[in-house]
Amino acid sequence: MTLFVHLFAGTGTFEFLSPGILLAVAVTCLAASLYLLLPKSGRHGKTSRRVGWLIGLITLGLFIATGQRLGNLGDEAVFLIVSLVAVVSAVATITCRSPVYAAIWFALCLAGVSGVLLVLGAQFLGVATIVVYAGAILVMFLFVLMLAQPSGLTTSDRITNEPMLSAVAGGVLLGLLSLSIGRLSAEEPLCCRPPSKAAALGAATVEKIPTESVDLLTSDQVARLGGELFGRHLVAVEAVGILLLVALIGAIAIVSNGLEGSQVETSSLHEGSRS
Amino acid sequence: MTTLLLLGTSLALLQNGLVVGAILFSLGLVGILSRRNLIVMFLCAELMLQGISVSLVAWSRYHGDFGGHVLVIFVLSVAACEAAIALVFVLQAFTRTGRLDSSAWQSLRETTLDRSIDHEIPSLDTSMPSFPRLTPAGRSPDTDEQAGMQREHV
Amino acid sequence: MTPSFLLVLVPLLPLLAAIATVIGGRRLGARAHLPAVVGIAAAAVVALSLLVVTARSRGNAETPRPIDVVAPLWQWATVEDAYAPASDSHAAVPGTAVGEDAYSARPFSISIALRLDPLTATMLVIITSVGLLVAIYSIGYMHDDPGYPRFFALVAMFVFSMSMLVAASNFLLVYVFWEAVGACSYLLIGFWFQKPEAAKAAKKAFLVNRIGDFGLAVGVFLLWLTYGTLDFHDTFSPDGTILPGILGQTRLADVSGYVGGIVGTAICLLLLLAACGKSAQLPLHVWLPDAMEGPTPASALIHAATMVTAGVYLVARSAPLFMACPGALVTVSIIGTTTALVAALIGTVQNDLKRVLAYSTISQLGYMFACLGTGTLLGFTAAIFHLLTHAFFKALLFLGAGSVMHSMGGVIDMRRFGGLRKLMPITATTFLIGSLALAGIAPFAGFFSKDEILASLHSKGWPDVHHSAENEHHALIPDLPSTRSRSGAMHDVGYRGVSGDNDHSNSKKASALVGLDALNQPAVWKTLFWMALVTAGLTAFYTFRAVFMTFTGPLRIPDEAGDHAHESPSVMTTPLLILAIPATLIGFVLFTTEGLAHFLAATPSFTAPSIVETATASVFHWDLAIQGTLAAALGIVIAAVGHLGRRSDGPQLERWLGPIRPFLENRMFIDQLYAAVIVKPIEAVAFLAAIFDRSFIDRSVRFFAHLPLALGSVVRRLQSGVLQRYALAGVIGVLAIIVFLAWRL
Repeated sequence: MTLFVHLFAGTGTFEFLSPGILLAVAVTCLAASLYLLLPKSGRHGKTSRRVGWLIGLITLGLFIATGQRLGNLGDEAVFLIVSLVAVVSAVATITCRSPVYAAIWFALCLAGVSGVLLVLGAQFLGVATIVVYAGAILVMFLFVLMLAQPSGLTTSDRITNEPMLSAVAGGVLLGLLSLSIGRLSAEEPLCCRPPSKAAALGAATVEKIPTESVDLLTSDQVARLGGELFGRHLVAVEAVGILLLVALIGAIAIVSNGLEGSQVETSSLHEGSRS
Repeated sequence: MTTLLLLGTSLALLQNGLVVGAILFSLGLVGILSRRNLIVMFLCAELMLQGISVSLVAWSRYHGDFGGHVLVIFVLSVAACEAAIALVFVLQAFTRTGRLDSSAWQSLRETTLDRSIDHEIPSLDTSMPSFPRLTPAGRSPDTDEQAGMQREHV
Repeated sequence: MTPSFLLVLVPLLPLLAAIATVIGGRRLGARAHLPAVVGIAAAAVVALSLLVVTARSRGNAETPRPIDVVAPLWQWATVEDAYAPASDSHAAVPGTAVGEDAYSARPFSISIALRLDPLTATMLVIITSVGLLVAIYSIGYMHDDPGYPRFFALVAMFVFSMSMLVAASNFLLVYVFWEAVGACSYLLIGFWFQKPEAAKAAKKAFLVNRIGDFGLAVGVFLLWLTYGTLDFHDTFSPDGTILPGILGQTRLADVSGYVGGIVGTAICLLLLLAACGKSAQLPLHVWLPDAMEGPTPASALIHAATMVTAGVYLVARSAPLFMACPGALVTVSIIGTTTALVAALIGTVQNDLKRVLAYSTISQLGYMFACLGTGTLLGFTAAIFHLLTHAFFKALLFLGAGSVMHSMGGVIDMRRFGGLRKLMPITATTFLIGSLALAGIAPFAGFFSKDEILASLHSKGWPDVHHSAENEHHALIPDLPSTRSRSGAMHDVGYRGVSGDNDHSNSKKASALVGLDALNQPAVWKTLFWMALVTAGLTAFYTFRAVFMTFTGPLRIPDEAGDHAHESPSVMTTPLLILAIPATLIGFVLFTTEGLAHFLAATPSFTAPSIVETATASVFHWDLAIQGTLAAALGIVIAAVGHLGRRSDGPQLERWLGPIRPFLENRMFIDQLYAAVIVKPIEAVAFLAAIFDRSFIDRSVRFFAHLPLALGSVVRRLQSGVLQRYALAGVIGVLAIIVFLAWRL
């Protein structure tokens, strides 16, 4: 831990706090807020949820305050807004009791994510995320919910497994990821170190990869992405196509086989359902 | 848009993007570990995938390479496949247990242990949800008010 | 058909018969005896031809020329440079230096080698011929027994093992088949294993024999350490030098080839212990009377004629070793004579016909040991001579007893039947012949062999008498390598071991050894002779007591026999008749022609200079014969007074014995003594060990068995079956690993 990354170095906002302590506080707050927000047994009313939201917002504020400046206020504002939308709606997705609401929050989260993608210069992906996820997959989820839970909220939606441990695990994970992200520096990009001779000899394909940066933000970006996709990655695209086909057939096969055995309902499985 | 995208230090953008991805990933993990509804669990899995996508795109931007984009496209495709198969499994599970609860399946437990049962379930929130009311305008529709209020919780 | 090929055939044929019976016995059913009978018969023919071949190769020369044919089959195992004697071993073990080369490092090689010499040929004939007759007899005796095939497989297996035992040319091989015959004996005693008595008797025989086998094992180790080889015969090392075997020509020719002193005596006493176990000598004789629980044919073959003589064979085969240790020789005689007397005394009051014969066997084996211990050529040949005659007449007696038992419906108590001579004339006649032979009445077989035994003992007790007699016939034995005066020879050999010892502690032991050697006095031998003579009288008494009680007087038949009391079938009486011929004639024939004595003298073991120089002309000792016959006649008369005629059902004679009777009837309380001194303490120790085992060892083991259970019951709660908890555990583990790595970095 001595090699603590200077995640928040240069921000100047919280000079008096060491980055490590700041990070620990942020992670603890996140875990606490998630714990408060997650539906669980016992007394847990609107008050605790509000406290949870408050702590969560403080955490986000910490992250924002300590984040890297992009140099341009407008850029920062845009990035901040879309990422806030994504993160807040993600929190809502996992804490919302009703699965339907969770799905709708997830749709909003997808919108935020697509915004982030756009900011990061992935125009096609931003659009594709909306189209594929929000337009197709999410609708499928809602259909399933409608089929399976027409009566709405069930008991199992009002309760969670091990909320405390889960929240702590998530917080620790986020802390670790933040640490390693903060360790990144322009001088020594982790993935662009020159490959050693032995590695180069071992993998001849390494040399083929163009090391020079291309400008991703040209106007024909989608065309070039398509060229990349159907050029270098043609085989992979074909493989993914086959995978989609197989998944389609597999889903149909499982449904049709499963329906025959659908009457196999053991009483033991129901024993906990009404508790 | 273009001005926005052209600006900003590359490393700072990368780090910010990665932090957003990490947050999404962590939230998805918390959700998948704690939520019991199978559908919500899948939503959380998708959330984790979103986090990965954001990270990949950030790296792609940083290196000026389309590799990350291509990978995200593949992630989208595989997620679609996964969703299809997984939803079928969820439906199967539902037809067998009548529930979307992941804790309904406990056959892997030690034979000497009892089923883990939720002893304390929070009471149902009986207060009426306050739906927004529009100012009535025009002719009143002939819908049955009672039928519309049958579903207290959506 | 070389002799060595024929030699291999003798054990091979019964082995094949045994295997065939084991494989096809059930399918053969009532004909399961065929492989065994045919195999043993063929082996008997081969053994007889071998006897002829050996006798011819001896030629007509009067001088005893060693005859032996060694048939090495294969090397069992070889360990290079196993025997590397210390440089000072010559000082510690004097008299071992046959040649310096011979004591360089040499391999430990176990060669599977068979040997043919007069002793082996004689033993093979006894084993196979008695075995054949017993097998034929068993066809009738064992019919309708559920274990019919098993019995014949075991008999064939026994004949194989016993042939190998007497034909082996290696002490280790002897040990192997020593155990093999013991195993066969165990299985045959416990043949009717459903009977608790039989199972107990088999166990007892096995355990008592263990003691003797232990002696043989340690003796073999000592032999290896002392002589560097276990082979009887000389072998050649790869570079052409002769490695002298323990009983090879090279060592036999060397006057200092055998170790005396403490080591030699230890070896001899250990071999004697082995012989005592197998041949049921004091103090290990207790198993043989109980062994009568087995089928009577097995008793006749194994516990009368052949296996129990293995001890006699072993001592006779190791004669040169014993000759170097006069103390051990005297011990052999003392044990033998004491056993003979004690067993005869006990035998006088037994009421079980087979037990009488069992004690008689012990007694007769004691005779053989008595004359083996004299350490003269006459003694050794007399022992084998008596072994031969005893094998025939004792087998005859046992088979006769079996015939009686067969017709009496399994009853063997002599008080419950009588006067059977009319009912079973053939059995009665042959039994009488056997009894006459056993009692030593001229001209039956036992008379001559017993006479030789008494003569050999007498010659030690009264050396002067025989010295002069021997001088008269000295011309008959020319060219003897007589290097030292006869009277001092044995002491000389014995003391060489002592004088070579400069070590202080050794000389102390040596003084004890001198004490053992000091028993080699004419006075001791005189005592032994008189004991033997008394035994002769007792033998005649108990034998004829049995004859009178069984066959004379009014006819009495036990209820168990029912209406089936009859003479046995011809398949049983024919072996009796055949055995009656050698029981009658063989002693006379072999004694008058002196064929056996001269023949046996060519055995390599008996051609050691120390034995050859004791050779005397065989003369018929009228005085001893008269004494022996008188003793026997006296015994018969007393038996007749007590039991002949109508008195056969009354225990008048026993009443005369007074307080000695319960002492003798309880077999001198030897079994009870062993039970109190050995069995009870061992049981007590075993009881304590069992308590310790249960309370400590078992509990500690159970504790360690419960430890994982206790741990598991704690950890088991984690196995809730809830998937998300498993996932959570996995995530926590991954995070822990990451944190650990981050900390390390």
